[in-house]
Amino acid sequence: MKKRLVLFFALVLALVTGFTAMTTTTANAATDTSLSKVQKKGTLVMGTSPDYPPYEFQATVHGKTKIVGMDVAVGEKIAKDMGVKLVVKSMSFDSLLVALQTGKVDMVISGMNPTPARRKNVDFTHTYYQGGYSIVINKSDKGIYKNKDSFVNKTIGAQTGSTMYNESKKQTSGTTVKGMTSVSDLILALQSHKIQGVAMEKPSAQAYVANNKELAAIPSDFNLSASDTSASVAFKKGSTALVAAANKSVDQIKKQNLVNKTYLPAAGKYLKTNTVNTSMFHYWKAFLTGIEYTLIITVCSVFFGFIIGVILALARMSQGGAIKTGLRWLATAYVEFIRGTPMMVQVMFVYFGLGLIVNLPALTSGIIAISLNSGAYVAEYIRGGINSVDDGQTEAARSLGMSSGKTMRFVVLPQALKNIWPSLGNEFITLIKDSSIVSIIGVSELIFQSNIVRSDTYRGVAPIAVIMVLYFILTFTASRILNYFERRMQHD
Amino acid sequence: MTKPIIEVKNLAKNFGKNEVLKDITEQVDPGQVIVVIGPSGGGKSTFLRCLNLLETPTSGEVDFDGENLTTLDTKRVNELREEMGMVFQGFNLFPNMTVLENIKLAPMKVKGIDDAAATKRAHELLKQVNLDDHADAFPSSLSGGQAQRVAIARALAMDPKVMLFDEPTSALDPEMVGEVLNVMQELANQGMTMVVVTHEMGFAKSVADRVWFMADGYIQENNTPEAFFGNPQTERAQDFLSKILM
Ligand SMILES: Nc1ncnc2c1ncn2[C@@H]1O[C@H](COP(=O)(O)OP(=O)(O)OP(=O)(O)O)[C@@H](O)[C@H]1O
Ligand SMILES: [Mg+2]
Repeated sequence: MKKRLVLFFALVLALVTGFTAMTTTTANAATDTSLSKVQKKGTLVMGTSPDYPPYEFQATVHGKTKIVGMDVAVGEKIAKDMGVKLVVKSMSFDSLLVALQTGKVDMVISGMNPTPARRKNVDFTHTYYQGGYSIVINKSDKGIYKNKDSFVNKTIGAQTGSTMYNESKKQTSGTTVKGMTSVSDLILALQSHKIQGVAMEKPSAQAYVANNKELAAIPSDFNLSASDTSASVAFKKGSTALVAAANKSVDQIKKQNLVNKTYLPAAGKYLKTNTVNTSMFHYWKAFLTGIEYTLIITVCSVFFGFIIGVILALARMSQGGAIKTGLRWLATAYVEFIRGTPMMVQVMFVYFGLGLIVNLPALTSGIIAISLNSGAYVAEYIRGGINSVDDGQTEAARSLGMSSGKTMRFVVLPQALKNIWPSLGNEFITLIKDSSIVSIIGVSELIFQSNIVRSDTYRGVAPIAVIMVLYFILTFTASRILNYFERRMQHD
Repeated sequence: MTKPIIEVKNLAKNFGKNEVLKDITEQVDPGQVIVVIGPSGGGKSTFLRCLNLLETPTSGEVDFDGENLTTLDTKRVNELREEMGMVFQGFNLFPNMTVLENIKLAPMKVKGIDDAAATKRAHELLKQVNLDDHADAFPSSLSGGQAQRVAIARALAMDPKVMLFDEPTSALDPEMVGEVLNVMQELANQGMTMVVVTHEMGFAKSVADRVWFMADGYIQENNTPEAFFGNPQTERAQDFLSKILM
């Protein structure tokens, strides 16, 4: 099962759990209103990371992209049994549990393995699927490798932090284990002979082999406990009523063997229709959506970042009484803090941290976080720009009776902006590229879309090449436009 | 007896330990032209900037039209600055605006005068300084003499009661000094009250009502030009004059 849990995310999760514990009283069985709440709003929101066929992945159905897979079928069954509508929300696997804690989703179904560590933070249903592991190899090597023990002095790849990664390390000797974050990257490494095998779940392995004639699967023969290969549905800690209701559905699924009989074959069909046409043109809509979101994020963030930057710069340069000194200190601290922490952490913090107070959509959170970040950098440019304007300009304006505010607005800022226009332009270009960070909270910008196309088509390089070109077209066009305006400003 | 328009009482200004102005008490009557002369670094610019509070005095007071500037709030100081135009050695025109826009900016943004009226007035002032044909030029295309005349027009656009000049011709090529001094002389003829820091002794002799000789943080002599140039009282002034009038 997928079991990536990078330390950082564990930390965020612990933090968020701490907050939640303080802000909400943990419901117990007697007073648990989780089920009635869901029934009242009429929707059950499922969080999943759709890069893991056949568990969950994106397929193009009648020209529209849609998240499908056996986990979605499980989710649909649970929702139907509760008498509500299922809403599927996609985000990166690492963000799922935090999203659950902060109420962004009602449940998580994402091939998730109910480990003891996870049980501390969330409640799991009974197991709905018992999987196992295979090792995918190049078909040409079929005679050479039999199982996990055949890789002495060779390299096996596995998803970083996953159960297969840990078990491959533990249960082989003389074998190098190489970790990568995405299965598509691992397959690429396999095909370019950087590694000799990829350990993954049986259904995934079957899907890859079915869609790629050059690959073959062999049994892993890992020695594993049942709980290491099982998948469960996660709910927020304490939602006893929801878990009980979901368990009824899960038990039915198990009893009737629905996963193997119905869900997996259905998912397989999507996989087929999905991979019949792996040409990048076939996915132009996905890329277009990516461009659209990348541009929305960039333009909004530049706009708000600029306003924030001006305010911060003025605050940093204000001089005088206690209030102004306080303001200056605050602005300086803010700028230093933002510049001293990774943008990715800020994005996560806004989405999940602020999410405890107001429920912001991922796109809004992304724009807020990037604007706040960009504002700190823009503030420094503007401060430099203001300092670059000759003091004589201020003196002339003040001697004409202009207040300090009007002097700043009509005399100093226009000149400062002209001086820093190239830097601001660079910031814009940088943001086009940096906006990719919000892919981690599931905003469908270019990187996110390309990852989806990669896992859909089982093609590792082509989507990357496509977005590389797309990014270049975006940044190149932007810099041409900025140059045009720069030239127009040089009238004197 | 006319009431003085500017009264300076026991004015002192320090920059840290550097006592630039020590104790200055003088007054300017309406319509007077005062020329301030003295050795470099003597505090002439600092004095002039104290008059419109671009520099905050360390002690003493500056009264303008009966109001003590050092006790007023920022808003009132801003209002009184409108009535004291200032012309700088380095022109300080706004480089991102045309000549016309330079002149119109303050009347429109500070006084709230509408565009048409401000434009009309700006053209009148440009005619007065003989530059109306340069209304749409940017400052970088002007000669020093032209730029300084625009700066004078810009200051006049606020209809000030007093004009302060800080070495308005020091940065100019010699052949351009005359055109600026002519404009200033005309202004004096029209009755404008002026305080002029300059090294142009000819201008001081022909236009000034009083000459103030400033050195070492004090006004050492305050006299008519005839008396000052003909018969300087202090040794400091005699020394200064002998050096520049070789
Ligand atoms: N903002 C300031 N901070 C510190 N010291 C200053 C400042 N402005 C002027 N001074 C000092 O005050 C003294 C007088 O300067 P000021 O410019 O008033 O003299 P000045 O008579 O106008 O000289 P010049 O003929 O060179 O223009 C100088 O020693 C100068 O270094
Ligand atoms: Mg000076």
